[in-house]
Amino acid sequence: MADNISEQIIVTEGLKKTYDETAVPVEAVRNVDLKIEKGEFSALVGPSGSGKTTFLNLISGLDTPTDGKVWLNGKLMSEMSGRELSDFRRDHIGFIFQAYNLIPVLTVEENVEYVMLLQGVPKEERHRRVLEILEEVGLSEFEDRVPPKLSGGQQQRVAVARAMVARPSIILADEPTANLDSATSGALLDTMHELNKKTGMTFLFSTHDQIVIDRATRVITLTDGKISSDEVRA
Amino acid sequence: MLFVKLAWRNLFRNKRRTIIAGFAIAIGLAALIFMDALLIGEEAIIINAATSSFLGEAQISREGFRQKQMADMTIANFSGVVKNLENDTLVEAFTPRTQAFGTVGSAADVRGISLIGVQPSTEGNLSILDDVIVDGGFFDGDNPHDIIIGVKLAEIIDVELDDKLVLSVAQASTGDISQQLFRVSGIFDFGDRSMNSGTVFIRLAQAREMLGIGGTAHTIAIKFVDSNLSRDTTSTFWTNYSVDGNEAISWTVIMPMIASMSDMLIISKVIMFIVLMGVVVFTILNTLFMALYERMFEFGVLRAVGTRPSGIARLLLLEAAALSIVGISMGVVLGLGVTLLIAHIGIDFTGVEFSGITMREKIYPVLKGSQFIIYPIAVFILTVIIGIYPAIHAARIDPAKAMKRSF
Repeated sequence: MADNISEQIIVTEGLKKTYDETAVPVEAVRNVDLKIEKGEFSALVGPSGSGKTTFLNLISGLDTPTDGKVWLNGKLMSEMSGRELSDFRRDHIGFIFQAYNLIPVLTVEENVEYVMLLQGVPKEERHRRVLEILEEVGLSEFEDRVPPKLSGGQQQRVAVARAMVARPSIILADEPTANLDSATSGALLDTMHELNKKTGMTFLFSTHDQIVIDRATRVITLTDGKISSDEVRA
Repeated sequence: MLFVKLAWRNLFRNKRRTIIAGFAIAIGLAALIFMDALLIGEEAIIINAATSSFLGEAQISREGFRQKQMADMTIANFSGVVKNLENDTLVEAFTPRTQAFGTVGSAADVRGISLIGVQPSTEGNLSILDDVIVDGGFFDGDNPHDIIIGVKLAEIIDVELDDKLVLSVAQASTGDISQQLFRVSGIFDFGDRSMNSGTVFIRLAQAREMLGIGGTAHTIAIKFVDSNLSRDTTSTFWTNYSVDGNEAISWTVIMPMIASMSDMLIISKVIMFIVLMGVVVFTILNTLFMALYERMFEFGVLRAVGTRPSGIARLLLLEAAALSIVGISMGVVLGLGVTLLIAHIGIDFTGVEFSGITMREKIYPVLKGSQFIIYPIAVFILTVIIGIYPAIHAARIDPAKAMKRSF
């Protein structure tokens, strides 16, 4: 196990995931050892089928490794029950999905405050923080709109706001720009980069998008389930 | 509160499906309300037909008379019983009758009959005999040898109004045959085959004379001020008049198959509830599972961002409850509307015979407040209980699998 694990948001040791639902078992992630430091703005890249999504599922507790260990914020995930994992994700992980995945029948404010609601944050404080984060992502005055009435870029901004407002330890973003045009993608990444610098929140992107890769301070390449390169940029 | 909002709004993401599912619940509930109201009305009509056509709500007779029908088994202390009944505030009306077996003969034929002696002045208060006369009158005038016979009997022995008949009965005390000539003064149609072909009526005084029973009678038919008394087995009425060898009994004892109709109706309601709610159950299950599978990705996301499995289950249950409320609201309106309409029109079963009772009037459904409380609550509870199955299913989803390639 690494020294100074408290400085590292994510630590994996010998992480492995094999799917044996088909006739031929598939090793999606193979013995991955990785440490993500606090405040990183990192990209996990690799071709389709390289294991990026599986890796993110494993480190977020959405999936269970076949072997190996995952520490997130110093807590060993395999020791948590299903309910503890849910609570842990609620409090420590923010998610940004490729398809935004906002709840279409809730307003922007209700979507953003959802996780805070699960955390038991009082109503007034939820409202204040929602308005603050919407301003950060450039969506002031949008709180009463519903997602179907927003553009793709706006919806993804709401997703960013939702991911960040609960003050997680890390944001995991899976192909956040896949459904956006380049201009919108660039603007969104700049916003997230600003938030990263301002708040020190850790970001880990799973991406093919060069726009994301160019802005990342660290690029981790996965090939056939293994880390083939790990480049830290200035 | 957000979960309640979310559940309610989710319901209308697919308006058509929600309305269809809501209608299924509504129709089930409306059918329950209507059938309950109809069964209540039907029971009331049948009981009324049984008790008000001829039987009365209660009868006093000598103990054993109902079983043996012996002419000498007359009511003990008849005048005392009559006096008590006249002063009894529970009693609205009563009428004495004699009852014996005899024969009636015309030029064409002789038939065995049940001879009933009635007191015309009081008989109309207890039975419909005066209303079912189809030819002639109900002891109009004061001829003591008037006889009223059934329409079928008239046909069998080939007599018409004003024809002469010979009535023969055995005297109570001696057993000697008493014969008298009577004039057909009225022909009745009770709508009941056995009455129409096998019962004749003469004046009480004449019957007493022929039977040699003096000033007494075999039965006194009674109508109460409150009809519910006839079902109150704890009332002192029964014990007060079951003395001196007499027995006072309710129609529920005389016609137990009608009395047991209430139990049958309860069973019918339960069966009806099961059948109708069975349809509702499968509709709700189908709707909730469709909603669940359509939104599997969304549920995976909700789990991913930290919603506990119990939270997902709660959401599904709230959606089931919301669906139930939609259906119940529609069902109450539909049930009320349909029942009121039918209650205004009535359902015509006149002439239909049920356990020896002929329906004489239309059946009108009876609305009660409890129908709009008990059934909606039962439907709501059932819907929520049914919702537990898809809720548990939703709670157990694997977030990663639910979200497939993205997490």
